[in-house]
Amino acid sequence: MKKTLVALSVLLIMAGLLAGCGEQAPTSTLDKIKQAGKVVVGTSADYPPYEYVDETGNYTGFDIELMTEIAKRMGVSLEWVDMPFDSLIAAVQEGKIDMSISCFNYSEERDQQVDFSDPYYTSQDAFLVAEGFTGTITDPADIVQYKIGVQSGTVQDDWVTTELIETGLMPESKLSRYERVDQAALDLQAGRIDVLVADSVPAQALIKQFGGFKIVYEVQLYTGPINIVLPEGDKALRDEVNKIIKQLQDEGFIDQLAVKYFSK
Amino acid sequence: MDIGRFFQYIASGTAYTLGVTLIALPSGLILGMLFAFLAVYAGKIATRFFSIYSTIMRGIPPIVLLFILYFLMSGAINLTPFWAGSVSLGIISSAYQMEIFRGAILSVSADQMMAARAIGLSKIQAIRTVIFPQMIRIAIPGWSNEAAIVIKDSSLVYAIGVPEILRRAQLISASTQQPFLAYTTAAFIYFTLVFITNRLLNRAEQKLTIPSNP
Repeated sequence: MKKTLVALSVLLIMAGLLAGCGEQAPTSTLDKIKQAGKVVVGTSADYPPYEYVDETGNYTGFDIELMTEIAKRMGVSLEWVDMPFDSLIAAVQEGKIDMSISCFNYSEERDQQVDFSDPYYTSQDAFLVAEGFTGTITDPADIVQYKIGVQSGTVQDDWVTTELIETGLMPESKLSRYERVDQAALDLQAGRIDVLVADSVPAQALIKQFGGFKIVYEVQLYTGPINIVLPEGDKALRDEVNKIIKQLQDEGFIDQLAVKYFSK
Repeated sequence: MDIGRFFQYIASGTAYTLGVTLIALPSGLILGMLFAFLAVYAGKIATRFFSIYSTIMRGIPPIVLLFILYFLMSGAINLTPFWAGSVSLGIISSAYQMEIFRGAILSVSADQMMAARAIGLSKIQAIRTVIFPQMIRIAIPGWSNEAAIVIKDSSLVYAIGVPEILRRAQLISASTQQPFLAYTTAAFIYFTLVFITNRLLNRAEQKLTIPSNP
């Protein structure tokens, strides 16, 4: 009993120490980037065609090529850090990386912890099913009768969780969350789930790569623009990134990238 | 992607796997052995302290400690993903290794300590020349188990972005849609590493066996 008390107090002291270590010096990350001559950007390179590894093991994709151009225009070199999607927000928050581009949708929850750039592209959500699927979906909520799959931590996951599960429209047991979208596609192929809710562009890529899938319904579950994730409250950095995004949109650079990566 | 490149991409993560293991396992060994001797011979307070240490560290999943070290402590100490991963696996392993060595020390009969002291050896001398050589022989089988666990747990550092075997298998499986091949390759590499390690430790165990005491 006494031992348990001692152990508990040790734990409490540790927790207290940890709580005190969150603060960061309030300088702009932009200065840090310019000083170092390089920007450290996080991505989860397992989400083709936005970010993935090519034949030579290099990172490539829509986001990767866009970020390369942004770094070039900032006049700094670019260092990629690959990390599972779930870890990226925490890494930006704790200053482990300067920013993150990984097909991030805006969400209020995320906005409380980090900042978002202006959207650089607007995506759609797709409901992907096996070719033999006979049901009809005319409203997003129609999918409650099926077994659903999503990639965990994505806006699709958020949408199914808040709109369908927390409202009691479907039991949580009918939702499978996958760490990566290709794992979900494998289960769709195997019939363990009926509907895979994913971003429309990767969904089309899955149809091409796996075969035997079709999109039954397309919709913008949340407003679908994707943004770069930036450290909270860093206005100088956000202004710089927004300025470059605006330039790239005006010059048609981003549209060209979309055609290159999304229309194959 | 051609098959040679595919294997090469995953296998090049082995350097990180070995790196993490070669930091975590020896640091866990040094700390674990030190703590074990202190827990047994350094009095009541030390015994209680290290028992609490071991209870806490064995009760925290390695990945939780990893996140604490990498994300939460970043204001105080800024570790790279590689070091955060290696250090947290080392800390957790030190608790398990401490228990292995503590058990081994206790299984050398207490009478031997008394006899060694009776013929005039100091406590340190007795530990070094009588207890330690026997303890190490007893500890090897249990320790080779822990070595295998640390090699495999090193895969956890993928969660903070170290491109080791498992993360590379994930990336290549996402871009080529060949999950079966990717993960069997990863499994094969881990198996080979553990197999070689256990073989070496088996050999050490045989070599160190005292002939009269098989």
